[in-house]
Amino acid sequence: MIPFALVQLRALITKEFQQIAADPRLLRLLIAAPVIQLLIFGTAVNFEVDVVPTAIVDQDRTSTSRAHVDELMADGTLVRALDAAQPDDALAAMDHGDVAAVIVLPEGLDATRLRHRPAPIQIVLDGTDVRRSTVAASAASRYFAQVDAPPPAIRLVPRILSNPTLDTQPYMVPGLAAMVLVITTTLITAMGLAREREVGTLEQILVSPIRSPVLLTGKVLPYAAIGLLDTGLALGAGSLVFDVPMRGSLVFLAVATMLYLLSTLGAGLLVATVARTQQQAFMGGFFFMIPAILLSGNMTPVLAMPKWMVPVTYLNPLRWFIEILRANLLEGSGFRELWVHLVMLLLIGSTLFVTALLRFRTKLG
Amino acid sequence: MRFSPGRFFRRVMAMARKEVAHVRRDAGMLYLAIGMPLLLIFIFGFGVRFDADDLPVVVVDEDHSEQSDALIEALTASGDLEMVEMAEDEPAAELALRSNRAVGALIVPHGFGAIRQRGGTGEVQLLVDGTDGTIANMLLANTESLVLATSLREQRVMPAFAVSVSTRYNPAGESAMFLLPGTIAYVLALVSVLLTSLAVAREWERGSMEQLFATSVGTLEIVVGKLLPYLALGVLDVLLALALGALVFDLPIRGSLPMLALGSLLFIFGMLGQGLFISIITRSQMLATQLGALSAMLPSLLLSGFLFPTDNLPLLLRAVSVLIPARYLVALLRSVLLKGGGFLDVWQDLVGLLAFALVTVAASTASFKRRIA
Amino acid sequence: MSGRGDIEVDHLRREFGKFVAVDDVTFQVPRGEIFGWLGANGAGKSTTIRMLIGVLEPTGGDALVDGISVRKDPFGVKRRIGYMSQRFSLYPDLTVRQNMAFFGGAYGLSGKKLNDRIETVARDVDLTELLTAKTADLPGGTRQRVALGTSLLQEPGIVFLDEPTAGVDPVSRRMFWDLIRRISGQGTTVFVTTHHLDEAEECRRVGLMVDGKLVALDTPAALARDHVPGTIWRARAVGIQAAVPLLVGRPGVLDVQPFGSELHVRVDGLPKEMLDDWLRPRFPDLTLEQGRATLEDVFLAVVGHQEET
Repeated sequence: MIPFALVQLRALITKEFQQIAADPRLLRLLIAAPVIQLLIFGTAVNFEVDVVPTAIVDQDRTSTSRAHVDELMADGTLVRALDAAQPDDALAAMDHGDVAAVIVLPEGLDATRLRHRPAPIQIVLDGTDVRRSTVAASAASRYFAQVDAPPPAIRLVPRILSNPTLDTQPYMVPGLAAMVLVITTTLITAMGLAREREVGTLEQILVSPIRSPVLLTGKVLPYAAIGLLDTGLALGAGSLVFDVPMRGSLVFLAVATMLYLLSTLGAGLLVATVARTQQQAFMGGFFFMIPAILLSGNMTPVLAMPKWMVPVTYLNPLRWFIEILRANLLEGSGFRELWVHLVMLLLIGSTLFVTALLRFRTKLG
Repeated sequence: MRFSPGRFFRRVMAMARKEVAHVRRDAGMLYLAIGMPLLLIFIFGFGVRFDADDLPVVVVDEDHSEQSDALIEALTASGDLEMVEMAEDEPAAELALRSNRAVGALIVPHGFGAIRQRGGTGEVQLLVDGTDGTIANMLLANTESLVLATSLREQRVMPAFAVSVSTRYNPAGESAMFLLPGTIAYVLALVSVLLTSLAVAREWERGSMEQLFATSVGTLEIVVGKLLPYLALGVLDVLLALALGALVFDLPIRGSLPMLALGSLLFIFGMLGQGLFISIITRSQMLATQLGALSAMLPSLLLSGFLFPTDNLPLLLRAVSVLIPARYLVALLRSVLLKGGGFLDVWQDLVGLLAFALVTVAASTASFKRRIA
Repeated sequence: MSGRGDIEVDHLRREFGKFVAVDDVTFQVPRGEIFGWLGANGAGKSTTIRMLIGVLEPTGGDALVDGISVRKDPFGVKRRIGYMSQRFSLYPDLTVRQNMAFFGGAYGLSGKKLNDRIETVARDVDLTELLTAKTADLPGGTRQRVALGTSLLQEPGIVFLDEPTAGVDPVSRRMFWDLIRRISGQGTTVFVTTHHLDEAEECRRVGLMVDGKLVALDTPAALARDHVPGTIWRARAVGIQAAVPLLVGRPGVLDVQPFGSELHVRVDGLPKEMLDDWLRPRFPDLTLEQGRATLEDVFLAVVGHQEET
């Protein structure tokens, strides 16, 4: 004899899958979309600023100045996009957005050197993109500092652990997977319950002897399964296409993913207890998702946030999960290093879930 | 049927009035339209920055000499690197990295002082945690320039060049200046596409769309009438975002206001058309949101130049980004707001936006007609 | 059907803040009865039902439904009853069988037992050939039958039908009531609310709520006798409506109501011959038949009386 609640749970889950199967477009969206998004955006994310279109104003016009320009461009960071006779022409091109840097080489480079005085080099940068102007400035300064200089007093010997070439994908793609997952799981749960309310089937369930924990579990489990499947697909695609290593234990990864899903689905449920319509559910889900994604530390590091904002990120399940993914995949970390993260995910997830449950109950009374 | 502008206008307005009533009844939509710019401006203005001070590092001093002390002092005094702890040896430092207590380790090897006393090149090692490449790059660049500066100071030689760097448009180098114009475009993309696709998909779900076909209102009239109120919300969002940007983050408006208005209007129209198109092909709120998020939320963030320069994209995606309208608005806004751009600076962007608006409104009108037939 | 199949309501009360929605209501419904529960909107009808099905907790009194206290064990009550409302919503994107399987599962049915019950119920409500149809494609009346069948899956001793025929065409309504009689014939108690007072005549007994109080409870005939005094004559003739001014105000005439093509004349001890004498000259084709007060008359009389006091 199967316990009563399990029969109910099975009925709920079967029904949810039948509904998903009844709309193949939804199924496609749930399974295929995350992978496709991951592939596209995995290719798009690239933090390395490798090209800065540059205008050269060579007022010296000697073989020396031409040699400097060639060497300056040699590593490919600064790319010569314009030769201007006057600085003003170059600045106009910058206004128009054609170049992001202007380098002015003054007349008489050789003569100045003979007098043992430093030759003045002017660099003008487009400051709108801070990263790009930083890269351009340091490329140019580095070059001009080493010209004709004796061997340096101190040299830096860097060694990079776990991602020696600092490719963007290995550390961004896991985070992207987490982001894509939040869209699928939080929104679908929130809207799914709101849809039952709109159609009226929720009321029907509420008069049946299904208790609310069983109902919410039955509502969440199918999407947890889909989320887990999505994660598997995303990580598979990540390691095949973007060479994301998988150095950690898969069991640990599965446990962490489930804890993460507990919080994204819990957030979806909580939203659903507030929303009366799908539209409201969507908006609620959205106001959870946007800050969660943008303040997750994936796009821009948590370290770069203002100090007062850092504690806020402790409440963000995405932040913990992204750190878990990076540490597990790239460094092979497991329970020993990341137990705090798991505990945080568990806390956030169960708080959301329990709050949703309580709200759900009181709203019915 | 002969086209009469007067009647067209009256019907459009009637449709628009009905839609306004919808929006007003649905307070949630207004929350989204007003809350979203507030939230995003706040996040991008305060929370998203590309530069970090005080990168936490561990220091391992194997040399214990006067020179090594001086070097460590020079590297950690600037505020770019913050020494969080001293470690005994390299394995201890690595452990600190793996447990996320620090992002890098400076190691001054044994014999550094002796080499420096002989006038040789002393080497200092930097162990970098590569799990967050953004931080790793920052750490590398900061440390490299610190070491370079220290090295030059110790050599006391006259440099061959005196390089003076000046930065235009955003001399303080604030990330907010870079991000806020893009944020406006992003807010518009989200609000416009998602609101329309949701609102209209709901009408499909409830069957009120079919009723509309039964009347003699023309397709284009329906399309334009449905879009007008959301256009107004979009304009409200632009004004709200600009005001907030100016008040809280000193975001300037240096260029042509008409260009700003024209560009924003064209963009909103295009995105509304996209939302309408999605709702027509999905006719389900759940699908519409997923498709809306798929087609507006992430591309406008990642392929528009908002966060990553489009020049950096791989060739194929750079071709795709030409089709992302946010790309043109981001460029236009940066030019007008920060660089004082006028028509001559932004006309290409306007053409891109106009083309997109025409295509989406035409596409949604056409697919509408197919639905009715 | 192992339970007692009856309902015992004992001083049931429900307040919302200061508002008393259900005020000290007491009644019993024996097993197998079709019991009608009537009242205007806001009279406390729905609140009563929601307490009886274990969804809303009473603030006073109690009710035993199938022998189980709605206060102490609302989930026990939920498990033992069937419930169907006008808003009964099926999943439009699922088939009839999938819907039934889901709600059957909600009541703990599974496996062979569930399948057998679906087949049986589908036969009972004449839906066998529609089991694989998508619910969204069914007309309203058919959907109501699916809903009724669904609420019978777990073989409840009592079914609560809350406005089951709202928005359904007259033909479907008649079919639906045939089903209700069939269910009751099988020993299931039926507790039904309805807007259609002609339907309520089908009930064995009827309870009437006004402003949260149960003001009348009996068989429809007894209610008519008690609340609508006098005799009703149904006058039929060509153009009989023109007779209203002839009758109103005459001694012994209590009430004159046009009723379709007839005129209902309620009189107090006035002999039939007198009525005939008054009307025959103007309406030579007149027929007079004795009628019975409808529940509508009762309803108007009772509500009118309550409002006066």
